[in-house]
Amino acid sequence: MSLSSQHSALFSIKMRKIHINLILIIFALLLSIGASFSLAQTSPPKPAPKPHNKVRKIIKNSSDTPAEKSIAVDAGVNISLCVSDGKLKINGWERNEIRAFVNGGSQVGFYVLQKKKDNPVWVKVLGYDPTTNKETDAEECLAGNEIELDVPRNAIVNIKSNSSEMVIDSVGKVSVENAGGDVFLNNIERGIEARTYEGDVTVENSSGAMSLFSTTGNIIAFDVSAQEVGDIFKAKTSNGAVTLKNVGQRQIEVGSNSGSINFSGEFLSGGQYSFGTSNGSIILTIPQNSSFRINASYGYGVFASEMPLQNIEKNAPSRIQNLSAQMGNGDASLKLTTVSGAIRIRKQ
Amino acid sequence: MKNCFDEGTIQAFLDGELASDLLENVARHVAVCDGCAVLMAEAEEESAFAFSALEQEFNTLVPTQRLWTKINDSIGRERKSVWQTVFAFFKHPTVGAFASLLVVFGLFVAVLSLQKGETVKSVAEIIPDKQEVIAPIFKPELATSQTSPSDDLESPKIATVKQAKKDYSIVKTVLVKKENSPKINNQPNALNSAEDKGQMTNDNFLLGEESYIKTIATLEKTVNSRKDEVLKPSSRFAFEKDLAVVNDAIQRMKAEVKKNPKNEAAKNVLRASYQNKIDLLSSVTEKTELMASLK
Repeated sequence: MSLSSQHSALFSIKMRKIHINLILIIFALLLSIGASFSLAQTSPPKPAPKPHNKVRKIIKNSSDTPAEKSIAVDAGVNISLCVSDGKLKINGWERNEIRAFVNGGSQVGFYVLQKKKDNPVWVKVLGYDPTTNKETDAEECLAGNEIELDVPRNAIVNIKSNSSEMVIDSVGKVSVENAGGDVFLNNIERGIEARTYEGDVTVENSSGAMSLFSTTGNIIAFDVSAQEVGDIFKAKTSNGAVTLKNVGQRQIEVGSNSGSINFSGEFLSGGQYSFGTSNGSIILTIPQNSSFRINASYGYGVFASEMPLQNIEKNAPSRIQNLSAQMGNGDASLKLTTVSGAIRIRKQ
Repeated sequence: MKNCFDEGTIQAFLDGELASDLLENVARHVAVCDGCAVLMAEAEEESAFAFSALEQEFNTLVPTQRLWTKINDSIGRERKSVWQTVFAFFKHPTVGAFASLLVVFGLFVAVLSLQKGETVKSVAEIIPDKQEVIAPIFKPELATSQTSPSDDLESPKIATVKQAKKDYSIVKTVLVKKENSPKINNQPNALNSAEDKGQMTNDNFLLGEESYIKTIATLEKTVNSRKDEVLKPSSRFAFEKDLAVVNDAIQRMKAEVKKNPKNEAAKNVLRASYQNKIDLLSSVTEKTELMASLK
């Protein structure tokens, strides 16, 4: 064998070894990536981040006089606040100004989140004054025996509360979420979203889309109406009664688990009304000239009407009854559902 | 030249049959003698021609060195182990790389399939946890009281209070029974979520029922872990009472739908009852979130 052929043979052997080593390295690398990936996948899921449990410092008002502050704002200002404890009263007035008053509790202050033409359009009401107090962990929520706010008539109010009885009167729009306490809303112009987990929700003389919710309380609505076509009225409670009188929205959805539903008023032409309970009665008190189509499903209760119904159709004898009927021209549509409650239609 | 060799010696030289000293002499002479060189070339041509003509015969009949080599190679190949063959196969770079990719992909798929198995297991584990759901009890007198003419329609609050008192006694009885008897789930009326699931799969008469049950199972898991912290005793009692009412409604409607799958009214009420249960459970989780956000 010549020297050159020996060299080429040696070279090819070396190259072969390099190839094998390279393949082994790639294989090991891929294997380790796969193994680490699988380990990462099979490792127990990280616990969900716990809520911020750091206790914030309540900035108490040490003065003898109640805390009181005011700020000039836009007429349609959006106001956000939270209340940890205390009675809250919000009242709409004709001034473009917010006045906050806290008696026997925290301080009060404002934080402007947004301005429009030098006028604040989004303001947060705080339990301390950010201009004078530089505490980093100051409690933002208001607390006190009496908390009062005067706000522009057209303002939008957003409230979160831990435990508070609230009375809100004459404002543009309200959104309330309350862990415990009654909520009274009066003269709200452009819609309500109220939710309390322990307590009653009462709405009077208001308009707009409404969503009222309570877990262990009653819901009462008097003289409410739609502000725009298509505004919906929703009311749901688990352990209380729903009482509605003169509700003017054309789409109504009402439910209660173990409480009764009382509707008093007229069914509007083209309206869709849905009432449902598990264990409570559904009582409709309506004018004699009402016009509606009714579809009722009921289980262990009864269906009784004081009004003359036409075209009555019942399903085959069964534990769960289905009844459809009509009164007048059938302009509105009613859907009634109950498991073991009674359905009664009464003359107004 | 006087020392020229004869044709036989030259032929023997070509055949390698000469002794070493004579072989050396012949080689030296041919190198310097043109006549002998020509003679050797002719003899070489003749023997090449003869070998080419008789090559096939030589190869088949005579065990030559090549034949022995082939035989030995074959024996050696037979003696190689399977692993050596496999190793030799994987020595090829392309094959090696492809095989390693296949292995990694296989591991990945295996891990994924294991995880899916775990998910199924966790869902299955959730179901029996819901043993604290209160057993629903059907009280015919409850329905009668609702439908009686004496039901005061003008005072719904009073009616609700009366109803709540009756429900209170029912729930109280059930709670006491539950505490005293751990075998409550064996009772036919017990609403166990595992049974729910079983019924759902066996008697799937309601469209979308599976999704309701899954949602309820998820919510129940969350609520059961937090309700003691979030709900005050009075609220907790109201919650359990409502849950019992809703479970009772679900149980009854399920039985009705099972009896008559074409009963649309029963299906509607069953759907509404499922939704009520979801709303009830959601209210606890939402309250939890609200309270956490205010901390």
